[in-house]
Amino acid sequence: MTDLDKLLATDSLAKLRAELSAGRPVAGPAQAQRLAAHARSLGATAPPLRVAFVHTYTSDLLDPWMDLAGAVQSMAVQCHHAPYGLALQEAAPDSALVRFEPHVTVLLLQREDLHPALSRPITGLEADEQAALRGQALSRLQEIVSRFRAQKVGHLVLSLLPRVAGPTLGLFDAHAAASEAAWWAGFKSELSAWLRASVPSSLLLDLDEVLARVGHAGFFDRRFWYSARFPFASEAAREVARRIVAVGTVLRTPRAKVLVLDADNTLWGGIVGEDGIEGIRLGPDYPGNLYLEFQRRLLDFQQRGLVLAMCSKNNPGDVDHVLKEHPHMLVREEHFAARRVNWTSKPENIRSLAEELNLGLDSFVFVDDSDHECAAVRHALPQVEVVQVPSRAIDVPHCLDQVARLEVLSLTREDLAKTQMYAQERQRRELLDSASGAGAAAGDYLARLGMKMSVRIDSAAQVPRLAQLTQKTNQFNLTTRRYDEQQIHGFIADERWLVADFSLADVFGDSGLVGLAMFRLPGDGVAELDTFLMSCRVIGREAEGAFLHTLLRRLAAAGVHEVRAWYLPTAKNMLVKDFLPSQGFEPLGDGQYRRDLRSHPPRDESEFPIAIDVAQPARQPVPA
Amino acid sequence: MTMFEKLQQTIGATLKVPAERITATTRDQDLPSWDSLGQVNLIMALEQEFGVTIEVEDFGSLNSVPAILQYLGKNGIA
Repeated sequence: MTDLDKLLATDSLAKLRAELSAGRPVAGPAQAQRLAAHARSLGATAPPLRVAFVHTYTSDLLDPWMDLAGAVQSMAVQCHHAPYGLALQEAAPDSALVRFEPHVTVLLLQREDLHPALSRPITGLEADEQAALRGQALSRLQEIVSRFRAQKVGHLVLSLLPRVAGPTLGLFDAHAAASEAAWWAGFKSELSAWLRASVPSSLLLDLDEVLARVGHAGFFDRRFWYSARFPFASEAAREVARRIVAVGTVLRTPRAKVLVLDADNTLWGGIVGEDGIEGIRLGPDYPGNLYLEFQRRLLDFQQRGLVLAMCSKNNPGDVDHVLKEHPHMLVREEHFAARRVNWTSKPENIRSLAEELNLGLDSFVFVDDSDHECAAVRHALPQVEVVQVPSRAIDVPHCLDQVARLEVLSLTREDLAKTQMYAQERQRRELLDSASGAGAAAGDYLARLGMKMSVRIDSAAQVPRLAQLTQKTNQFNLTTRRYDEQQIHGFIADERWLVADFSLADVFGDSGLVGLAMFRLPGDGVAELDTFLMSCRVIGREAEGAFLHTLLRRLAAAGVHEVRAWYLPTAKNMLVKDFLPSQGFEPLGDGQYRRDLRSHPPRDESEFPIAIDVAQPARQPVPA
Repeated sequence: MTMFEKLQQTIGATLKVPAERITATTRDQDLPSWDSLGQVNLIMALEQEFGVTIEVEDFGSLNSVPAILQYLGKNGIA
């Protein structure tokens, strides 16, 4: 059987994906087309993905590869190619490209497009000349990118073709002070810093990394490059197309947030219940090193903001023993946001994981070596993406590398801390369980958390996070008013407003900035609670009351005697229906409430199980 | 399948025309889709379908059915 025959014999998209990611080659565009047709015959309905190319080298020949990459991801790819060359006229409201309404626009540029000097050697330039050239090339590229970004062209993907020839100074290049490779590395990092800071919805698609992956011979086909201005050999064309389609997949499908991992023959080779902790394959030597490598890869995915969960049919004690005691385990207890180690069915366990983590099933990716378990999950939970771990250990470490939904297009500090926060939450629950098991009151549990609240008044330090909270918080939110950063800057600077936020920490960790309150102060000793919200992450710890009463005490001290507040019901904020009456506000009807601070003074800090610290910076001017 | 039939199918599939339209004398000028881009696509397809590696010097001359058949024969593809 040829490679193509094996690929054409696959009977599901998942298997086809597995074969392709195990590295089975596709010889050329004609094969790509046949394979795309096969993939379409296996796939379900495919949403369209429109990709536009602006290109200073031939891009049309990527089409069969785009078609294949799309079919493999169940996307119906449509390509639009701007006229050959740096077609800046396409960056206009009525251009053919803008009318195509692309989801993704790819700029396929060459280095010399950025500056004529880049078509000649640059190693002869003095350091300051090299730096000046870098600045000029960067500003040229900024101009090009900005013009496209100003139009509705979807996600903007920028790429620079590596040089066909090696570096100017050959084997001495990396060693040299004037190194061409170092110049490009510096250029790329300046470019990406600018893109991050100034160009929303953009991505630097690193073709140097593709080159490193497929090798020079797999990247360039010099015959087609010099005769037809098409640089890519089949392997590179397939890989470039796959990455572009991955961008579209991330944009167009629900975000993957959880990797649910089997244990036996997934995290390690063998079955711990039979082979014992000494018998499983995991360690520095073959084949244990393949599972070690896979665990390292899982930690990589965690760095992309995915949380790890475990779902294994095993005796919990056996798995615990490995997690705690195995000398070579890289992925340990603290890396899992949640675990299900029992003999219950996997679909049922995945459902309960979704409940515990409060995440939708369509954000789950399930990873297991067993045909039976994969089929059971596919059948019972079609929203869950299933990846079967290959039966050959050698194929295991890279089995998730081509799962497009595991790619990310942005990363926040919160994404990185996610697992930690879930793990802290689990420890809190365990403490609560042990406290209630011992017959202690809930108050005892809260006291043992050792909570510390930091309240900031009129602080502009975290305005993006405050805006994000107003936009994303649906459940614990009295009025569900959405504000952007500029508006919140305005409230903070305005003396007729009081803006307060809080962060909460306890013995298990820091939950970050999780609550926001904004009062309007129209005068005459009245304050109106415009916004009061809190992240669900900290519900059930009396933080909402501690925060509210801290603010009420400040208002009272400043001469406010009456606070008015509203509960505006939505489909999602039932949770706070009774919040205001529970805090001593009297209903006036129509969702309006009031509290007289003179007849009903605010509660004291000592009534809450939380130590509170309040900081108020000097007022800052509104940024222009 | 004869060499000619296989070539008919390859050209038809690559240039998106019905295979019957490809005759023993068809050349690039007869088909609008056999332009310079079509030529590159066709070279890639010939390499895959007939298992040959075509040198860049031969790209330009493989612009008709008889030229391709002659090239394949000369390179021992039968």
